[in-house]
This record gives sequence, C-alpha cells and structure tokens, in this order.
Amino acid sequence: MIHNSGEAANERPNIIVLLKQVPDIEEVKFDTEKGTLDRSSAKAEPNPFDLNALEAGVQIKEKLGGTITVVSMGPPQAESALRDALARGADRAILLTDKKFGGADTLATSYTLASAIKKLGNFDLIICGEKTVDGDTGQVGPEVAEHLGIPHVAYVSEIKKCDKEGFVTVSQMGEYRYLTELKSFGLITVTKDINEPRLPSLRDKLKARKSEIEIWSVDDLTNGADRNKFGIMGSPTSVYKITIPSVEGRRGKIFRGTPDEATKKFVEELEKILKV
Amino acid sequence: MIKEIENDLRDIVGEDWVVTKREQMEDYLIDETPASARPQPAAEVVLVKPADSQEISKILKLASEKKIPVFPRGGGTGLVGGAIPTKDGIILSTERMEKIEIDKENMMAIVEAGATLEKLLKAAEEADMLFPPHPGDEGAQVGGLVVCNAGGARAVKYGIIRNYVKGIEVVLPTGEIVNLGGKLLKNNTGYNLMHLMIGSEGTLGIITKVIFRLYPKFGATATLIVPYENRHDAINTVPKILQRGIIPLAIEYVEKDTIEKSAEHLGKKWPCEEGNAFLIVIVAGTGIDEVYSESEKISETCQENNSLEPLIAESREEQDRILDIRSNIYTALKPEIADILDVTVPPANMGKLMDVIDKIAEKFNAYIPTYGHAADGNLHPHVMVEKGKGLDHVKKLKNEIYKAAIDLGGVITGEHGIGKIRIEDLNLCLSEKEIQLMEGIKKLFDPNNILNPIK
Repeated sequence: MIHNSGEAANERPNIIVLLKQVPDIEEVKFDTEKGTLDRSSAKAEPNPFDLNALEAGVQIKEKLGGTITVVSMGPPQAESALRDALARGADRAILLTDKKFGGADTLATSYTLASAIKKLGNFDLIICGEKTVDGDTGQVGPEVAEHLGIPHVAYVSEIKKCDKEGFVTVSQMGEYRYLTELKSFGLITVTKDINEPRLPSLRDKLKARKSEIEIWSVDDLTNGADRNKFGIMGSPTSVYKITIPSVEGRRGKIFRGTPDEATKKFVEELEKILKV
Repeated sequence: MIKEIENDLRDIVGEDWVVTKREQMEDYLIDETPASARPQPAAEVVLVKPADSQEISKILKLASEKKIPVFPRGGGTGLVGGAIPTKDGIILSTERMEKIEIDKENMMAIVEAGATLEKLLKAAEEADMLFPPHPGDEGAQVGGLVVCNAGGARAVKYGIIRNYVKGIEVVLPTGEIVNLGGKLLKNNTGYNLMHLMIGSEGTLGIITKVIFRLYPKFGATATLIVPYENRHDAINTVPKILQRGIIPLAIEYVEKDTIEKSAEHLGKKWPCEEGNAFLIVIVAGTGIDEVYSESEKISETCQENNSLEPLIAESREEQDRILDIRSNIYTALKPEIADILDVTVPPANMGKLMDVIDKIAEKFNAYIPTYGHAADGNLHPHVMVEKGKGLDHVKKLKNEIYKAAIDLGGVITGEHGIGKIRIEDLNLCLSEKEIQLMEGIKKLFDPNNILNPIK
C-alpha cells in the first residue's frame, strides 16, 4: 500500500474519521422562514452514520493496529461528539471551530476538512458516514477526496479485505454490488449496513470527558489554504426554501353498492390518489 | 339472540360500525395471550365500534335490558385473554375514540380510550412533556392500559399506570356516564371509585376518557447495561442503588440467552458481549452532568457488587435499540411459550424467587426463561411448550411457581392481571372474604352481569 506522502505506508495505518454533531432528528424543529433547522430544539448527538465510520475504523485498528484521528467541523459544543468518539476508540480528536467557518455549504465544509487533513499530513485511509441526518446530501465525503485529489469509494457496506496490501470494499448501489480494490490511500464513505457501532463503556466515557480536544481555527489552516474558501464566503449554494411534507394519517372510507360497483368506485378513488 | 339486536346496534352506531361477518373480525377474537393458554372465542358475536360515550351508554343499556354479555376491547395486547369474547355477545371496540388534548398549564393529557400508547407518548413529547411509563407494546390503547393498570418498565421513578391517572370518564354497565376524579392532584371526596375502576379489567365499567398527569421532559437520559457473571450479584445490586438515593427511571433484569434471542429475532445484536446476567438501568436527569454523576454512582455500586464493566448508550437511537430488544423478548419467545407469568414478590425476595424457579426447572426438567422488572420485584418466568408434555405439565409447573411466589410474600400477578386464564388461580392468594367482597362490588355495578361476565 502506498502512503499519501508517496512513501510505502505504515503497516499500522493512520486512519482519519470525519464526524459531525447533529441534532436528534426525531426531535428537531424546522425554521421554515429561515430555511434552517432550529438546533436548539433538540439534543445534539454524533451523526449516526459517522458512528458506523468510526466503528469501521476501530475494527481496522483492532486488526492492523495504527491510530484513529477524528476530525469535526462545528461550533464549540461539538466537542461532546468528539469526546464520544474518544470513548469509542479514537486516539486523537480535532475540532475545527471558528466563526469564519460558519454558514458553510458542502463545498466549503469539504474544503475546510480537506485543509485540516493536509495539515495533519500522513494518512492511509479516511472514513466518513455516507451522509449526515441533518443535511442528507452525501456530498461532503467525496468532495473531501476531490479536494485532496485522492481516490474514493462511496456507500461502502462491507470491507471484504483489509491488510497492508490495501482494502477491498463492497458498495451497495440499489440492486448492484460494486467490488472495489483500493491499493493506495483513499477515502470511503460507509452505510449503516457495514456494522453495528459498539457502545462505549461508562469508564471510557467518563475518562473521555476529561480528555483534551485540539481546537483549530482559521489561522491554524491558512498555511496553504485559501481563507476565502471557508464558511459562507466559500459557499456558492444556499437554501432557497425548506418545506416540510405533511404527514397524511390513515383514513377510512367505505365504498357502498354491489361488489362490482364498490370495486369500480374503489379503483377510481385509487387512480385519483395516484395521479396526485 | 345476538342476531336480534344487530339492527338495534346499527341504529345506535350507524351501519358502517357494526361487523357481523366472522372473517371480518378475526383479529378481535384473540389477543396476545400465547395460543395454548388462550381461551376459545364464542361462536356468536357481533363487533361494534361506537364513536363516543353516548353511543356506548346506549349499547350498554340495550345489553343490560336484553342481558347480553359485552366484551370491551382496546388494542388487544393483553396476555391473559381479558379481551376475548368467551360467551355469545357483543365485542365493543373503542378504537374510533382516539382524541388527545394536552393541558399545558396543568401538565395533564386528556385522552380518549382508543388512543394508542404510541400516540400518547408522541403527543406528550410534541408538547415538550413526558408520559414516563412504558408498559411494553405501544399498540396498547389507553382504555386498556388504565382498566388493566398496566405496569412494565420505566415504573421505578414515578410508578405504574395507576399513579398517573387523575380522572376518568366511565360508562357503567347500566348505561350511566360518570366522571370520577378530575384534573386534581388532591381529592379526598368519599370512596375513591376511580381507583376501584383502575385494574377492574372491564368488569365494572367501560372507561372512555382518561386524564393523565404528565411530567416535564428530562434534559438528558442514558441507558446503562451492567453485565454480571452471577445472577445474584445483579439482583442484590438493585436495592443498594435505591438505598443510595438514586431512583432511576427503570431497572430491568435480563439474562444472556433470552436477550440474545430477542436481538436476533429483530435482526440486531445485543451490544454487551461480557456477562451472563444484565441490569438495564435507565437514568434520567435535568441535564447530562446529572446523568453522568448518577451513572457514576450506579456504576460504583454495581462494581462493589461484582459487576463487570458497564456500557452506556446516550443517543436516542442507541437507547431505543436497547429498550426495543428488551421489549421484544416476549415476541421472540412467543411461538414456544405456553404461558407468560408475572409473579411479584417483595423486591428483596426477587433473588430467592429466581432460585426456587431454578429448582422447579430442574425438577420438571424444563427450560424456564426468566426476566423482569428488577426494582419492582416483578418477574416474568415463561412456561414453554415442550414436546410430549401436555397441558397438565404446564399447569403443574405454573402452580409450583405461583406457590413459590406466595410463600415469599408475593402474588400471582403484578401487572398482567387475572383476565380469563387466571380466574381459577385467584383463590391461591385471595381469601374467601376478599373474593366475596369483590363479587358484591361486581353485583352493585353490574346487576345484570353483562360486562366480561365470566369473572
């Protein structure tokens, strides 16, 4: 396996996991006027898909050794998601937090994360969740890889092989399964099918509460990165409108007449609904 | 006899809400009672679905006059055949009555009988409040929950269903509609008829509306899984946690083989690899710091009692997954279950009861999976269907377990109730005088013996 520095990779891989803190999506309320989520309306937790990414990293580390660095971009309170990651087996946690990172779309977010990864230097594998439950785009992972100019595989539902020669992954794409061999360093995004994240022990959780989280601001990344590509400045997309689909409850309707008449009425009604 | 009243029923509820074809009411003839313990439904029944308490009143007046049995029905999630129509008569389903109103100022919910537990939990949450108890199946309807005084998990901190009910609207068997209690936290006016109704299992009246007390939402919750090598260490920890001044929302006891079976049944994985016996402790507080601090104290107490390393789940998804696996033990085992018992003993005798059950299992060469609500002294030993061993075997085994519970100062049922399958066993723990008084009460409320008349 070749390292991103061009040298032969460590037998013990350096793994980077990207993680985002999100609101509990079952509880969160939408601000339809601003087109945003009202994050104060719900408890914050690590994006569930990112926990699958971390678990995949921990399983590789258990097999091959190495280290896991978790990187997150978010407000200062996102520290708690990183502490959770430390309790679940990460070795190092970095939070990219700065007002100038605010208002970022997926392009600016991925640029910021890629800049941090460049600063970190050597890595063998970057693992992300397939998407976040609050943004739902699935773009950030692959965009990070594009900014870094490295290969990437999305929607990985199984790591068939991982050793010093590289990785073989399976991506579930609808009815098809793509088998991909990753001989050099790269980035993968994983689905929920890849594993069931383990629970941290209470002891590790309490220990992680006191662990150090490294905080990086814009100034920590500007060596080599373009300041104008961070945050809202670097975001060509914005949310135009947000609508909440209305949830139709169950409705009962009785169709009367002879069986033939009633069936006819029923079919007509069904056609009406399907047309809508 | 039933045919004669079908048109009268149509006049009361409208023709769409009277079902006479057997094949259209199959689901209403059974409940969640294991098939081998379930009583047979009667041959001639009619199903009615009234819209409100006025219609129920008219139906009960008619049934009283004609002396026709009425079997009230909610979500059909009972485990003792309570809702099964065992005599020719009327099945009365309250499913159309499902409105929920939240009174934020008084922190109460006014709920019609047919609303499901799922709907109530959601409505409370949307109003930024909480209905704490979780008596298993969320398809259960409110009327059934109250009239059966459901228990379940999450009863440690604030109690079982009875503790939340502040008022009810009931239609009496003779047709009168009465309102008992109200939006009151204190009420000492006369005998408490409301509490007599709660747990009366549809023999004294049909509950049509309930006023529940709600609680403020917790700022944070966490679910701990505490593994043990030894079952006694697990059970012995429970009073120690409570004595330390920590009252969690729930303390459940499960064993490795049953909980893993349930997880497998759901296509999930039980998250704890260590240990043979587990406590599942749900900790709730105003904020995460309080939850961590309580969890730390619980963990200390557990480890002083030889637990292995406790795990913690904090996200909603992870906590729900654990509760879901716990709640589905029954469904996972159901195909092989002959009867699910819910014997209850003073909490400190829980370990002793489990030991006696082990001995009974050995004596009968039987597999008796056991789990329960550890802080409530409420245990669920399952009597399993075993090839070559008939109903007699089930009965003998059951009676020994009942006897063990009673010898330890307990009762034969702590939450499922008597229903139709435990009537014979009632005299095991109630005196003749008590049964006589109960019969007298039944006669007073229901002089024509029409509501769930077998009891």
